[in-house]
This record gives sequence, structure tokens and C-alpha cells, in this order.
Amino acid sequence: MMWVRRAAMAFLVAVFAASLLARWIAPDSYAHQFRDLPDAAPSTQHWLGTDDLGRDRFSRLLYGTHISLLLAPAAALVSSGLAALIGGAAGFAGGWMESCVMAATDLFLSLPWLFLLITVRAFLPLNVSPIASVAITFALLGCLGWAAAARVICADARALCNSDIVLLARASGSSGFRLLRRHIIPNLMPVLSAQFWISIPVFILTEANLGILGLGVAEPLPSWGSLLRELESFSAFSAQPWLFAPLILLVVTVSCFHLAMGNQEAWA
Amino acid sequence: MKRPALFALMLTGFCGALLAGAAAAAQPGSQLRFSLNSEPKTLNPLLVDDDASETIRYLTGGVLARLNRVTQQLQPELATAWKVNRAGDAISFTLRRNVRFSDGTPFSAADVAYTIHRLMDSAIHSPTGDSFRSGKGKVETRVAGADQISIKFPAPIVGLDKLFDQVAILSAQSPKGKMAVLGPYYVAENKAGSYLLLRRNPNYWKRDSAGRQLPYIDSIRLDVEQNRDIEMLRLERGEIDFIDSVSAENYDRLAARAPKMVYDAGVSMDAEQMWFNEVPNAPPPDYKKAWFTSVRFRRAISESINRADLARVVFHGHAQPAVSWISPANRVWFDASLRPHPFDPNSALRLLAEDGFSLRNGALYDRGGRAVEFSLITNAGNRSRESMAAMIQQDLAGIGIRLNVVTLDFPSLLERITRSYDYESCLLGLVNNDLDPDAQMNVWLSSGKNHIWNPNQKTPATAWEAEIDRLMRAQAATIDGKKRKQEIDEVQELVWREEPFIYLVNKDALVAVSTNLHNVHPVALAPQVYWNIDQLWMGPTRGRDR
Amino acid sequence: MDGAYAGAGSLMELPLLSLRLSASYPGKPGVLKDVRLELNRGEVLGLVGPSGCGKSTLALAILKLLYLKRGRAEGFIHFNGLDLMALKERTMRELRGSEIALVLQSPMSALNPALRIGVQLEEAWKVHRRSTRRECRRAVTETLENVSLPADQSFLRRYPAELSVGQAQRVLIGMAVLHRPPLLIADEPTSALDIITQAEILELFSMLSRTMGIGVLYISHDLFSVAAISQRVAVMDQGEIVECRRTADLFTDPGRAYTRKLIAALPVTPQFRELQQAVGEWPA
Repeated sequence: MMWVRRAAMAFLVAVFAASLLARWIAPDSYAHQFRDLPDAAPSTQHWLGTDDLGRDRFSRLLYGTHISLLLAPAAALVSSGLAALIGGAAGFAGGWMESCVMAATDLFLSLPWLFLLITVRAFLPLNVSPIASVAITFALLGCLGWAAAARVICADARALCNSDIVLLARASGSSGFRLLRRHIIPNLMPVLSAQFWISIPVFILTEANLGILGLGVAEPLPSWGSLLRELESFSAFSAQPWLFAPLILLVVTVSCFHLAMGNQEAWA
Repeated sequence: MKRPALFALMLTGFCGALLAGAAAAAQPGSQLRFSLNSEPKTLNPLLVDDDASETIRYLTGGVLARLNRVTQQLQPELATAWKVNRAGDAISFTLRRNVRFSDGTPFSAADVAYTIHRLMDSAIHSPTGDSFRSGKGKVETRVAGADQISIKFPAPIVGLDKLFDQVAILSAQSPKGKMAVLGPYYVAENKAGSYLLLRRNPNYWKRDSAGRQLPYIDSIRLDVEQNRDIEMLRLERGEIDFIDSVSAENYDRLAARAPKMVYDAGVSMDAEQMWFNEVPNAPPPDYKKAWFTSVRFRRAISESINRADLARVVFHGHAQPAVSWISPANRVWFDASLRPHPFDPNSALRLLAEDGFSLRNGALYDRGGRAVEFSLITNAGNRSRESMAAMIQQDLAGIGIRLNVVTLDFPSLLERITRSYDYESCLLGLVNNDLDPDAQMNVWLSSGKNHIWNPNQKTPATAWEAEIDRLMRAQAATIDGKKRKQEIDEVQELVWREEPFIYLVNKDALVAVSTNLHNVHPVALAPQVYWNIDQLWMGPTRGRDR
Repeated sequence: MDGAYAGAGSLMELPLLSLRLSASYPGKPGVLKDVRLELNRGEVLGLVGPSGCGKSTLALAILKLLYLKRGRAEGFIHFNGLDLMALKERTMRELRGSEIALVLQSPMSALNPALRIGVQLEEAWKVHRRSTRRECRRAVTETLENVSLPADQSFLRRYPAELSVGQAQRVLIGMAVLHRPPLLIADEPTSALDIITQAEILELFSMLSRTMGIGVLYISHDLFSVAAISQRVAVMDQGEIVECRRTADLFTDPGRAYTRKLIAALPVTPQFRELQQAVGEWPA
């Protein structure tokens, strides 16, 4: 299985690199509209054809990957951090504090997220640049995505606090910050990093869903979400297989994340 | 049943149109199927307020006079003649004789009087009745014999006769639970949320030129299907017979495969438009409101948008640059002397320079040195509108303006444009099914709540808004058609010049029809396909009878 | 007998540890019922009893860590001239590890799996000492030598999972004696080990006690191993100390029915002298 993981990692690295170098690799700007060539089929000039406004699909895919693949891990970092803070604190404190935080987490998990995101997005100021808007979207996802991870981390922190490791550390005179830094955090790291890797594809997919509702990334910036929107009228694309490119890339990338994540769990 | 068929055969050599009718007559049990995009909210013709209910009313209701969807002129139905008095507050009808309701009860002036009283009954809250409410006071009906009735309203009503296109006559005698109708069909089955089955009204009064009773088609099955893509698939599978509004994309795709199935019925009543927030105490900063309230700024924006590209790219050519708040589809009221604002960025920049704007390093700055940037909101989920926004964004970038496109869910959008006024500009479409411009009174009066760029004004904010107020009030009191047209033309010209709404494109009416449906003549006005429902017939695959 | 021994002790010096404790958990009263115990400097005191009789509770109570299991203790603990019950948590924390050390049953679950052996030992050192890196290294090396483990880099860089159970237990003991505490509490330190390793660890304990003068409270359910290294044995049953006598006396003249049952359960009654010789010479 090792070679599968290596291949997955290699693919992810390649995709990351290509998207980071989008500025140099992309044949055109993601926003330029070749208005005489809308909905064009793939050609030597436009490798994946053009979209309905005549924008080069390949360039948009590169830039969209750039945005989704940079911001999703950032959001995952925020949500894992929050999960560690909230879940860890609850698990560490235990007792009524744990019950309260977990009840709040359950409530948080049961909220209708899509609607809340739509509402929150609607309350944001209108005059934000597309880049800021996509950053805000992912920041929101990051700030809201901690609950499920917090539950897991709380349970782990609880178990850790009741473990011999912490008992021995306390019996050796460790406490407070030292206990946290040397004994609690290192032992929560594996589960934390697993949560981090899981939430990356989740956020990519959520942004895609928001994009399908027209609420993710603002025009003219592409993201995987906005690229996937082209597939929403399912009767329209059967004759144009190249439209599947973003979907295939998303599925393969998410699968690769999972394979890479499997690696992380083995380490844990 | 045999004799008419034989009769039709004899006529075969003479008249193709009659053959059409005869062929339909040879196929009893035929069924027309199409989809409603939502469940009808009511089957009571007085309470109709949504498209699906309107469909049922159109198919089942008998009216005194019908607006011909091709000529846009009123034509006789249950009334053979009518006359509006000079004051414009009374109308008298001469009714058709020997007409019976679907349940067999005879139709007479008493039924019309009953319908009018129900319609105007304030306890019923009929939306259709609202268009007749011009002033306080009672509506009087005077029945003079079985076929004569005159109706007097408390105040003059412009375009009074055409309003009767919406009034389905009720039976005064039939049991109330049973909806006896005078139209070509009656509702036979209604399975809530799923489908409706309409059957041919056996007592329908109309006959074709061969003397055969209409309609030809035996029954109509209406399925409730909200998903437009599924509706399209069902048409392609032959499960439904037509769609009266298809997207430009679906149109082109179907045209490539089955050119006989699609019709571009020409420019429709629908317009896509954008406007700026000109509400004085709205949240946007004062310097921006100063831009928005300047006609030169609005005009410059208008001239820097390439309308032809919008029509060509977003609507695949099935649209045309818009000119006015009245669509060219509205033959009577459209001001044909108006021309769309040309795409001319240089002229736009000259106009902006007059207002103190300057272009530096590809970015536009106002007199105070502030970069010109504003947001455009539109409703999320509407692909073509989002594409238009992206194209406008690109066009405005051409004169150094940064446009931030924000898509919002519809309730949030409405909240912003009607309550909080927290927006800068907005892109929306206007669907208007009423040919008479008087129906748009609350859009154009500065005190109106749909005067959306600056609603509910106590006194008109500008001289031109005051002038529009004056003209709109004047036309509402003018019974003389020619003079009214002049007044409406003046309003159209004012709006063209001041551009409170920047009209972008008028979309074409695009329909798709099964090749088994005959005698189809799609039009731009609703109902695009079945406006001549009683003349349609089902038969073997047709050639294209345009 | 108990009183006589205490009287003799008081002639020489005060005992290292002298306690009288009652303890309970929420919903479980009387886990310890007025337990009295004394332990002298350098003495190995065995504490035997069946599982669940309160032995581990006593260990935690001495460290004042019973609150971790939401337990409460009452009574007094006099340790090295200090009244532990009166001490603040902060002072208590300074005592834990440096004055009173703990060795747990399962080294694999007690060692932190995320830290290398060297780091773990250094950590235990740094908790109580501010010293240079070199001093720290030296202390770690020394303690590893004391528990007969190699002190080279390759060993220090290992993770607990890369050690054998015996090695891990030695690391745990090494960590416990790092600060040369006067009192070491060993809670079932050999019950997770195979019989040969068990013997080695027992020898280690008695050696450490002898060479460093560490007093050991050796808790076990295994009378055999207790008898091997303890000068005295306290027998505990259902939260009470039922008997506390010199080891040899316990075997030759078990006073209580429960003790007799314990001895009878052994496959062979140990020949007390031989056993002591096998483990090493008693100084006494």
C-alpha cells in the first residue's frame, strides 16, 4: 500500500505545484472573455475549451485549484485549531464544563448550516473584492467547521486525562502548561492531524455546494465550486465530456487526500 | 359521430386547415400533456394570483372578450359586441345566445352580473377585481334582457374592455361546489401536488369552420414538475408535449437534434435591467450617491455595457438590446422611435469627464480622487443573470471601474432593495404579462413602492420624476387611446434619457413543442403555446407548420 | 506488636512516613477505613491485599492525587517532618517526583508514547531542577546506569514502543529515582512482567533501596514477590490494614484468617531465608 500513498502524495504535490504556478502555466487570464468563442470545444488554443462567456477553461481550472487548494487547508487549520481549543479544554476540564461544551457542540452540529451560511454571507458587506470574498467564505467554513472534530478531540482528551500517562506526569510533579505542552498536546496531535486532513476535502466540497447556490466565490474568480456549477444542468453536458475535468480533478484530489490521510493515521 | 368525418373527407381537396381539424376529430381519446412549474394555489378563477392557477383559468374559464395573443386586439367570445362609454367608467355587452355551462345550465346576463358582484365583493379579495377598483363606491350592473348587460364603475378605468380578458364568468345557478365553466375544458381530477386532469367541456359553444364542436383534444393532463431540467428530459422522452419557456442553452441543444421541435417566438415581454440606489438616506456613502444620482454617470454606465454581446453570448442570440420599459413585444404601447443606447466607451468617458471623473493608469477616479468601485447585487442561482453580471464587470473594467458582483438569496436581495436600501446597484429581470402600461403605475409614480431606485417619495426628488408623475397620472385619466399613447411615449422617452433603469436586453420567447401537436403558432405573450388551445390537435408526426 | 515497633522507632528517629487515612469516592464510601501505616527511612514495606481492597487508593492518597479520581481523603500524612494534608497544592507539586516518587503497574501505558525516552527523562528532571543541559544529561545517564540500562544516544532516541516491557519498567523506575526521593511508591510494579523480568525488577528495587536509602512502599497482590523484598508486610482487606508484621513473622505465625488464606494459596511456602539470600543480603 505504500506505493499507493506515495503516488497520492506525488499527485497532490503535482497539483499543488501546478496551481501555485498558475500565473506562469495558464495560457490566459482566468477572467478574459473571448466573446467570439463562447462554449468552444477543446482546441490547441484552449485545451479544455471555453466556458459560456468564452473564458479559457484550463486557465480557470488552474486558478480555481489554486484558490480551493490554498484556502481549504487554511480553513481546515482554523477549524482544527478551534476544535483542539474547545474540545481539548472541555475534555481537560471534564465535569459540568465538558457536559456544557458538548451540549453546545451537539446544538451546533444540529443547526441547518447551509441556511446559516447563506444568511451570514448575505449580511457581509457588499463591496469586497472577489479575493476577500472567497477568503471570507473559507474563513466562515473554518470558524463553523470545528464541532464534529471537537467532539472527537474532547473524547480523546478525556481519555488521556484519565490515563496513566497523565497520572504519572502529575505524580512526577508536572502540571499546567508543562503537562499540556509535553504530555497532552503531543498525544492529541495524531487525532488532530487526522481531523485536519479530513476537513480539507469537506471544505472543498462545502464551498462547491455554496458555489452551486451562487454563494461561494464571487465573479470573476474561479474556484472548484464555481467550475462545478457548469455541471448543474445535467441534461446539457452529455455531449461535452471535457466539462467533467473539474469534477474528475476534485474527486481524484479528494481521494488522494484520503489516501494521504490514511498515512497519517498509520503514524498515529 | 360518423357524419362530420365523412363531411371532412369530402372537403379534403379544398382546404388544408379544415383537414387539420378533421384529422383531430378522427382521434377521440387524445390527450395533451404538459408541466406546471408549481402547484396551482387556487382553482377559483376570482382568486388567481400565480402562473399555475392562471393556466387553469385560461383553459377552463369562459370570458366575455379575449385578447388575441397574435394581433393583441380584443376579440369577441361570450360577448358578441361591447361598448365603453365616453367617460370610460361604464361598459355594456351584448351576449352570445344559446350558450350552456359545462353542467348544462344556460348562460345569461344574470351570470355576468353575478360574476361582477362576486369579483368586486371586498370580502373576497380578488386580485383580478383589484384592477377594476379605480375609486370608492359601488359597482352597478343593469341587466336588460338575457343578452344585454351594462356595468357602471364609480370612476373611469383606462383600458376597461381589455381587463375582461381576465374575468372568467361564473354560473349563478349551478351548485356552488361544482365549478361549472364556459371554457373549452373543465377540471375532472385534481390530485394535490401531483397532477390535474382536464376534460373537454361537452357544452363548449365554439365550432370550427366545418361546424365541428371545439376543442379537438379530449383531455389535458397537467403534471406538477418544479425541476426545469427534468421537464426538458420528459419532453425529449415524449412524456409531455410542450414547454412554453426554455432556456437559450436548452433551445440550442434541442435545435441541433430536433429542429422541428423548437420555436423562437420573437421578442418577449421580459426585460433584464439594472439600476442604481438613489435613495437619499441609504447606507452607501454620499460620494457614491452623488455618482448614482448623476444622469451622466448612469448614461456612461449604460453606454459602456455591450448589450449586443449580452444578447449574443448569454442568450445565444435569442435576445435583443432593450430600449424601454415597454417591450417591443407590446405592439400597441412600445415607442418604436426609441433606439438602444449604443456601446461606446469613449462617449462614456467623455460623459464621465464632464462630471469630473478621470482615467489614470486604467482606473477611474472621481473628482475627489476616489477610485470608482461599486457592487452589483443579483439573485443567486440564476445562471444567465450571473453571466450578465460577469460580462458587465468586464465591460466596466474597460472604463476603469471595478464592479463587485454579489449574488444573494432572493429574500436577502428583497430585504436590501425594498427595506434596508443597503445596496449600490442591482441587476434583476422584470416579468410583465400585462400589456397595458397602466399596470406599472406603482413603478413610475415617485410615491410608488415599486419606484424601486428611490421609492415612497413624499415629493418627487427630481424634475423628471415630477414630469413622469404628471404624465402617468394624466394617462390614467385619458380615455382617448391616441392621446394616452402620446403620454406613455413621453414617459418612455424620459426614462430612456434619464435611465433610472438601465434596460439591457429583452429576451425572446423560446418554446419547445412535440411534433405530435398540430396547429401550433407560438407567440411571445403568455400563454405562448396554448393560447389557441381549442384549435390544437394531436396527430402523427408533423412537418413544421410555420 | 505494631505499637512496640513504633515505640522502638521513636527511640531512634521519627518514621519517614506515618499516616492515618480514611478515603471515599463519590457513591463509594469507606474505600480506606482508618488506615494506619508507618514506614521508616530505607525500609521496604510491602502492602498486600486482593484487587480492589484500596491499595492503589492509598498510593494516590499519599501523593494527594486522589482528586484526579474524584476521591476524598481524611486523616493525616506525616512525611519527612511535613504534614502533607496541610500543604498547598503548589508545595505538594514540588514534593511529587522529587521527594515522593511513583512507579505504576504497566510501563507501556504510563510512558508517554509521543516522547523519546531521553526527552521523557529530561522532562522529569526539568520539572524540579533548573540546571544546565550538561547537568541534566549527567543525571539522566546516572539514573539509567542505576537501573542497568544503556545511556547511549541510540537508546535515548527510542520511543517507548521500541522497548521491551522490562526495559520500559526500568525506565519508569529510573525516572522515579532520578531525584533520589526518600520515598518510592511502587504500585504493582511487577504484575505486568514475566517471571524472569519480575525477579530482575525485584532485585533492582531492593538494590536501590539499599544503595540509595530509599524507603519503598511496595504494593502488590502477589505475596510471593512482596515477601521477597520487604522487611515488613502490611496486609490489607476491604479498606483496612488487618495485619502489619515483620515478613518472617507473618509466614511463621500468620495472625489473621485472611493472611492464612493468602499464604495457603501460594504453591510453595517460601523458605524465608533462602528467598532473602536469592534477592540479596539484608543490611539489618
